[in-house]
Amino acid sequence: MSHKITRKMDLNSDDFYVEVEAPLVAERFRAGNFTILMTVPHGERIPMSIMKAEDGKISMFIKKLGKTSRELYKELDTFENVIGPMGKPIDIKNYGTVVVASDLVCGHAENYAICKALKEAGNKVISYQTFPTEKEIYPEEVLANDVCDEFHLTTEDGSKGEEGHYIDLLEERLENGEKVDIVFAGGSLPNLKELGEMTKEYNIPTIVTVRQIMVDASGMCGACRVFVDGEMQLACIDGPMFDAHKIDWGAALRRPKMYAEMEKVALEHCKELGRCE
Amino acid sequence: MAIKPRVPVREQPAEERIHNFNSVPYGYSEEEAIAEAQRCIQCPNPTCEAGCPVNIKIKDMIRLIKEGKFAESYLLTKQDNAFPACTGRVCPQEDQCEGVCILVKTGQPINIGKLEAFVADWGREHNVTEETVSASKEKKVAVVGSGPAGLACAAELRKFGYQVTMFETLHKPGGVLVYGIPNFRLPKEIVQHEIDYLEEIGVDIQLNMTVGQNISFDELRENYDAIFLGTGAGAPQFMGIEGEKLNGVYSANEFLIRANLMKSYLFPEWDTPISVGKKVGVVGAGNVAMDAARTALRLGADEVYIIYRRTMEFSPARNEEIEHAREEGIIFKELVNPVRFVGNDQGWVTGVELIKMELSEQDSSGRPRPVPVEGSEFIMELDTVIEALGTVPNRLFLSRAPGLKTDRKGVILADDNRMTSIEGVFGGGDATSGAATVIKALGEGKRAAESIRDYLEGK
Ligand SMILES: Cc1cc2nc3c(=O)[nH]c(=O)nc-3n(C[C@H](O)[C@H](O)[C@H](O)COP(=O)(O)OP(=O)(O)OC[C@H]3O[C@@H](n4cnc5c(N)ncnc54)[C@H](O)[C@@H]3O)c2cc1C
Ligand SMILES: Cc1cc2nc3c(=O)[nH]c(=O)nc-3n(C[C@H](O)[C@H](O)[C@H](O)COP(=O)(O)OP(=O)(O)OC[C@H]3O[C@@H](n4cnc5c(N)ncnc54)[C@H](O)[C@@H]3O)c2cc1C
Ligand code: FES
Repeated sequence: MSHKITRKMDLNSDDFYVEVEAPLVAERFRAGNFTILMTVPHGERIPMSIMKAEDGKISMFIKKLGKTSRELYKELDTFENVIGPMGKPIDIKNYGTVVVASDLVCGHAENYAICKALKEAGNKVISYQTFPTEKEIYPEEVLANDVCDEFHLTTEDGSKGEEGHYIDLLEERLENGEKVDIVFAGGSLPNLKELGEMTKEYNIPTIVTVRQIMVDASGMCGACRVFVDGEMQLACIDGPMFDAHKIDWGAALRRPKMYAEMEKVALEHCKELGRCE
Repeated sequence: MAIKPRVPVREQPAEERIHNFNSVPYGYSEEEAIAEAQRCIQCPNPTCEAGCPVNIKIKDMIRLIKEGKFAESYLLTKQDNAFPACTGRVCPQEDQCEGVCILVKTGQPINIGKLEAFVADWGREHNVTEETVSASKEKKVAVVGSGPAGLACAAELRKFGYQVTMFETLHKPGGVLVYGIPNFRLPKEIVQHEIDYLEEIGVDIQLNMTVGQNISFDELRENYDAIFLGTGAGAPQFMGIEGEKLNGVYSANEFLIRANLMKSYLFPEWDTPISVGKKVGVVGAGNVAMDAARTALRLGADEVYIIYRRTMEFSPARNEEIEHAREEGIIFKELVNPVRFVGNDQGWVTGVELIKMELSEQDSSGRPRPVPVEGSEFIMELDTVIEALGTVPNRLFLSRAPGLKTDRKGVILADDNRMTSIEGVFGGGDATSGAATVIKALGEGKRAAESIRDYLEGK
């Protein structure tokens, strides 16, 4: 059951775009859902955010990190399995004024999907997409500028767009007394934690993607457990988006690093086979 | 007449097998099987058959082996049990057929499990095929879950001629037989053979399809004339104690899914990693705990402990597994219970605080209730912890199937005909009984198929 990759392109030197045929996933995708990929038959089951689902295809932004992503980038034109949609979609309704923010590959994919869904639901949607510098900015065609009402492209060094991280820019906005009813955000986990600390002071509901290591992604293993308001939740079936103000961030930040050493081994092995760079 | 002792089962030596995932027993040869079968005294009233949850015609199975009629013996066994090669290896025989064998008094009951596995392997290796599919019928049945319950139900329904589509969450069919029970106990090619057979007779297996998530229960109800739920009880339970968030703390399900389904024992040829420290503690003492402990050992742990709050005589695991675990050097820490897990400042588990236990009066399980000895806490150093505390039905499916009645734990209620609270929706296996056994799941899957036939034919 192999799935054909119909488009692959560089987003910047680290991240790339992949579009793949997955009619079942595409048909049922709703913002907030993710997919489980197996690139090869002996591959890992890895979660990926979905940027958009159209014409039986889904699009994703993928960072070249370890074995799976790098081999996919260099060698593959099919996926063994594209599974889903997984996880709970966000509650798509009219909240009023919504901020959608991101600063990393997965977050940018979700940014597009969530903006689109919430704009269609009648919200005033304000999107922030933060990149480190001008060099990392994605091509305009995949940014959320077309699917929101107000778009802020920001760079941390100010080399293009507005200067600063979305957390600071959003805080300025809130300080100025501008109305925001809810924030959705994804990307760097430590930054999501910080975002939550900030918005808590302003009492603004903040829903963020808590990326955790997953295996089955159907509630059967507990690998993805996160602790929300003292209760164990499973990111794969109860999430992956949770209330940033209630998450036990200590564990959530730590658990994704559990296999760091073995991931290095896997990447080295892949390089030896000449299938990764 | 003196009864000869059991024909011994040849096995991979312990010191060798702890370095591989190959089957521990080699299985009987034809001569050994005949010799073991000759020990059977062919009771007029075979208690073994009554002890078998699906009442396999054990007496005749053994007689046919004795007569060298292996194909006949195989086909006879298959009449009552779809997967004898699996159950011969994993049934708790000492609590079932062998436990009530008349020879149990001698301490040497017939090795029914190994004989069953022998005829099943013989049948598979000699391509003995069974009855064919009846004339095709138009009615469609959806089978949810591809564990033993779903597989048995699908096979039977297909033989009745119905159009059968099976939906499975994972990318491989087989349920616990594939993702849970390790290869050294149940070689995966045996399960694959059964699945190939299902496909051969025309069961449509749809993988990567979670009913309730990427296809709705209502869609099934609209598109199929009947539904069988064989969704199992696959969700892990955690102790809920301090330190469970630490890295290096696993549920047995995660540990075994990584090792078996994702083949992390072949890492890095296979991509999925697994983390096994030098000192591993497995909490619990059932089959799942034994599997996790023996897997950890094979993955390179130096010391593996079973941490159990009772004594091993009360362990629910199969005797053979306990015996094999002991031979392999698994250390049984009895009468202790975890209070909390302790960790270092990088957030990795470094040990467990245990409290000593005493056995008191019997509880509802008929076993003595373990009670903590106050003030007896001590720390045991560990670098991997695996919690094997039993599993419950997956709430994902249940939350998406409103109207389906369950008990408090999420076990789906089914009547004697295996019909659930929703008409036309049947269920069996762990989904309707809570974590139980393979043979029970097989039996209920088959029974449900018969009820589905009656239901569809308006009987
Ligand atoms: C809900 C969700 C959405 C995600 N969306 C995206 C996305 O849009 N784009 C993107 O590039 N990445 C996304 N990720 C992360 C992605 O799954 C990992 O980057 C990927 O598994 C890396 O695999 P690798 O072999 O290339 O790298 P590895 O070297 O194996 O791992 C690099 C890092 O990725 C994470 N990771 C590894 N294995 C897993 C796993 N099985 N499950 C989850 N995380 C893992 C770990 O933190 C690890 O340290 C998402 C994760 C989750 C949980
Ligand atoms: C490690 C381990 C060792 C064991 N050892 C033994 C043993 O030695 N002897 C013994 O008799 N028993 C043993 N058992 C118990 C035995 O395996 C189970 O009782 C048996 O597998 C139950 O079969 P089942 O078909 O009901 O469920 P399962 O085997 O659990 O199969 C259920 C299947 O349904 C799928 N599923 C669940 N929800 C959905 C959904 N919504 N949509 C689609 N698919 C879904 C799951 O992915 C799974 O594949 C063991 C169990 C474990 C975990
Ligand atoms: S990934 Fe296994 S329970 Fe979530």
